[in-house]
Amino acid sequence: MIWALAYLPVLAGLGIWAVGASRGRTALLGGLATVATLLLALIAGGRSGRFDWSDVLTLQAALPPLAQAVAVLVPAILLPITLFAASHEEARGLPRLVGLMLVFTGGMELVVIADDLVTLLIGWEIVGACSWVLIGHRWREQPPGLSANFAFVLTRAGDLGLFLAVLTTFTVTGGAEYDALGRLDDWPLALAAFGLLVAAVSKAGQVPFAPWLFRAMDGPTSVSALLHSATMVAAGVYILARLHPYISAAPGFGTAAMALGLATAVLGGVVAVRQVHAKKLLAGSTSAQMGLMIATVGAGYPGVAVLHLVVHAATKAALFCAAGTVHRVTGSFDLREARLGRALPVSAGLTAIAALSLAAVPPLSGGWSKEEMVKAAEHAGLFWTTAAILAGGLSAAYATRFAVTAFGPGDRDEASERRGESAALLCLSGAVLAMSVLWLPWAHDAVSAWIGAELPTGTRLGLIASLTAVALGVLAGLRAARAPSAPPGQEWLGLPALYEHGVIRPFHGLAGVAARLDDGVIDLIPRGVAALGRQASGQLARLDDDHIDGLAPGAARRASQGTSRVWRGAVGIAVQAASALAALAAGVGERLSDIIPGGSGRLAGMAGADLRRLQTGLSHHYYTLLMAGFALAVGLLIIGG
Amino acid sequence: MLTLAVLVPLAAALLLALAPLGAAAARWTATGSAVLSLLALVSVWAGGGEGFRAVTEVPWIPTLGIAWRVGVDGMSLALALMSALLFAASAAWPMQLEGARAYYAWMAFLTGVSIGLFVTLDLIVFYVFFDLSLVGMYFLIGRWGHGEAQHAALKFFVYTLAGSLLILIGIIVLALNMPELTFDMRAIIDSPPLAAAGALPGLVFLAFVIGFGIKTPVFPFHTWLPPAHVDAPGPASAILAGVLLKMGTYGLIRIPLQMMPETFARWALPLAILGVISILWGSIVAFAQENLKRRIAYTSVNHMGYTVLGIAVAGSALGSETARQLALTGAVVEMVAHGLITGALFLIAGAIWARAEDYHLPNFGGLAGTAPRLTGAATLAAFASLGLPGLAGFVAELHIFLGAFGVYPWLAAIGLLGILITAALFLRMLRQAFFGDLPYERRGFTDLTTAEAAILALLLALVVLIGIWPAWLLALIDAAAVIPAIGAGG
Repeated sequence: MIWALAYLPVLAGLGIWAVGASRGRTALLGGLATVATLLLALIAGGRSGRFDWSDVLTLQAALPPLAQAVAVLVPAILLPITLFAASHEEARGLPRLVGLMLVFTGGMELVVIADDLVTLLIGWEIVGACSWVLIGHRWREQPPGLSANFAFVLTRAGDLGLFLAVLTTFTVTGGAEYDALGRLDDWPLALAAFGLLVAAVSKAGQVPFAPWLFRAMDGPTSVSALLHSATMVAAGVYILARLHPYISAAPGFGTAAMALGLATAVLGGVVAVRQVHAKKLLAGSTSAQMGLMIATVGAGYPGVAVLHLVVHAATKAALFCAAGTVHRVTGSFDLREARLGRALPVSAGLTAIAALSLAAVPPLSGGWSKEEMVKAAEHAGLFWTTAAILAGGLSAAYATRFAVTAFGPGDRDEASERRGESAALLCLSGAVLAMSVLWLPWAHDAVSAWIGAELPTGTRLGLIASLTAVALGVLAGLRAARAPSAPPGQEWLGLPALYEHGVIRPFHGLAGVAARLDDGVIDLIPRGVAALGRQASGQLARLDDDHIDGLAPGAARRASQGTSRVWRGAVGIAVQAASALAALAAGVGERLSDIIPGGSGRLAGMAGADLRRLQTGLSHHYYTLLMAGFALAVGLLIIGG
Repeated sequence: MLTLAVLVPLAAALLLALAPLGAAAARWTATGSAVLSLLALVSVWAGGGEGFRAVTEVPWIPTLGIAWRVGVDGMSLALALMSALLFAASAAWPMQLEGARAYYAWMAFLTGVSIGLFVTLDLIVFYVFFDLSLVGMYFLIGRWGHGEAQHAALKFFVYTLAGSLLILIGIIVLALNMPELTFDMRAIIDSPPLAAAGALPGLVFLAFVIGFGIKTPVFPFHTWLPPAHVDAPGPASAILAGVLLKMGTYGLIRIPLQMMPETFARWALPLAILGVISILWGSIVAFAQENLKRRIAYTSVNHMGYTVLGIAVAGSALGSETARQLALTGAVVEMVAHGLITGALFLIAGAIWARAEDYHLPNFGGLAGTAPRLTGAATLAAFASLGLPGLAGFVAELHIFLGAFGVYPWLAAIGLLGILITAALFLRMLRQAFFGDLPYERRGFTDLTTAEAAILALLLALVVLIGIWPAWLLALIDAAAVIPAIGAGG
């Protein structure tokens, strides 16, 4: 039954795409499939499954509480997003969009239930492929196609790390289940752990893979909302948290995870603070938030990372829905043209809740989980704590700036609300609000006990510093929202340009050179051999010109006889050339030479009729080669016999 | 039964050559004979068994130990089944042809000799079929191709024929070194000759590697492949890539790996390096091609590189037995998967040619709007070819890399880059052909007909099935039985 968690949404999604339907029906069907997946996730806890894939590889699935939390999260987030999509997106291609989002969810569920590295790899790459289709959803335009390819190739580069982890684990232990990962030590463990880390940071949009998340913004808003919350990027964090018990012992793993995570958290924050494009601001923020979570795993608190993953998913999905509304009303994602507070007061209020949660303002849920992450960083040392607090301040700044520029009071006082969009926002922001109970000790104790998360203890000083940073961030965000800023000159601090000039163009150049070499140089091998063969057997060819000439102009009947004579002639000459040794092997050689003409004679006879229809000017190449080869054959026979 | 599988298509070819049939009747005769052949093979499969099964032997030239011997093990049965299916699909593929009867006659002839090559157990018969397959393909490309078809066909013919001569030399030397002259594959596999170290086994091995390497093709013997593909009609390309290339890798397993295991083990590393070079070179050069068919053709070099890597690992006598078996399993699955996937891709290319008479990718775009079925099939086939999990290519590549990593970890790690480059080149191809703006002159581009869609659906359904549930195919291949026990003498 546990496998149904993966294949049910996939089949349902394909079905919805195939059938196609009106907006209402698509929403209904998509919603039903999502609810069914959600129910499955709720009841499948603790179950496991096996599927014999081959005699050596068995796919395994399991759903421990930590995994179940994420398994429930994915369809729970998809449900409001489906609602949003049905109301917000273009009608053309809507069933495909909703259907493929379900397939995407199925792939993510496979990642979540995986209990061995091969199953993980399968789900992992299916998620990547789904993101390709979804980012390129508006295929009639140029940019989405290019961006989808960029995103897939860049994340697949990271996937090679997962391949390496699978190969190492299997080679050393003879199995690929997660437990086998735990049996590794020394360099295989390091290789597997760092391979997994590379795969995870590429999916989670960390430095240096972050630019693909920006490019992914060319997809529809619903896709961004899903991709940035519960799937794709979430897969990166989830898998590090899930596998933390097995791989944390690898030397340097914790430090590397913290360094990558916090570097992205700070840099992503800087990127987001400077953005004026609503979705790109949120994309920078996603990288930054995932960075904080990865750093938390590195610090040794995977449970805390997953808790923030859950809270962040609802928060970020809500904000993307809000960004979609901005685009629908103003026709652009430029935040400088928004300020829809007067026109859409309800959306403004709901967005404010999510934004404040992203800013980690107490008593909202995002505030609780972020402070837990800062506490985790405190356990790692002062340097890491400072970075985490700085990242927190930056998120307060960009979250505030987003909310105020998008939904602050402005000149526009009329715009239509759409029921689907508002309902989705209500669900998601409501969830953010509801999860704020996590501040209460009994609530967070119960939840952390259920998923087996250990909560870190922090110092009062750390809390004060962190909250001060948040307050300063909010103030800075308010100030930044007032003054319209120019968009940054370089996207993602110049990383995309680095890829363009450092990798993509050189590779195009390399491929071009290789192609020319292939045509010009490597093809010289056959041409050279042919020329050599012609020269070396020139003598031979002249002697046998009669026979060949007899063949060429359409003498189908004589073809087989002619060939036989050529053969015999060639053999004869070759044998003469090595007469002393030939005497020893002549008997064998003659017997064999009888067999081959038999075969080739039949061949030539059958071919004769068609041969005439073809130009035969070049056929002497073939015959000379044939003879040269046969001479060689006889030579070897002599040695071999 | 196996003899029947070979003779039925050959008889059909004879019938087509002599009887005045119409184009439609000719098409169905060729397709029907391939289907009958497929059924015969399926019945052998259903019969089960271990090792060589369904063996028949009819003496031919007893003094030389040559006989009509047929029989299959799991590997050759899997390849024969795939070939028969691909022939049925290619023969059934709708074509507008001049001289349709002759075209289908050659198609049926090629069906018979190709299946014959996989099911024969006699080296001389193997060699004869190997060469006859060249003849059939030569005429399919030369007569029904386009562009510089005749030049391409001749280059293909001469190049691979030169290779086949080297194979003939090797075969003869092998047979002569048996205690008693015989061309019976089973006998030679059971007591491999030329076990001693020395120049001769090395030379014979080299002859086989070059001969089969040309056919496969591996770097640097691959330059005949792109022109042959570009100018061939779609179904002929599908056969060339799907079936004929497999003769090279099949031969590499059957003859050097099984009949001279000690020598193979000595030379496994260079062969593996050649495989990795093919993987990378094929994909890098494919990336730069703007011609749809050339791009697909070069990915064949890449995929056959995976296969050769797997074969080299299997024969390396290094690492664990499991690793070698995995590599060989992967290599054989790659052959089957590549046959189905690239067969489908070339049929798709044929469908595009039939509608646009053009392969230049920049002249295309936006076909997803006018031809959604074609787009769907091409996308699925492209993802299968780039090794997406859930599809057949992944099963093959995962097994090959799992095995290779246990024997030559560095080579496997370098080879992994091929997976990335193929992803880039296939996605680029999809974007160029199917997405973006529809050029004005492509307005009238029509979608796949029902017949075309059904044929592609059949091939791709198998690709999905193998991808999701490969156990049945792996059980059929039974790689453990193929790998010779090395170590007794070396």
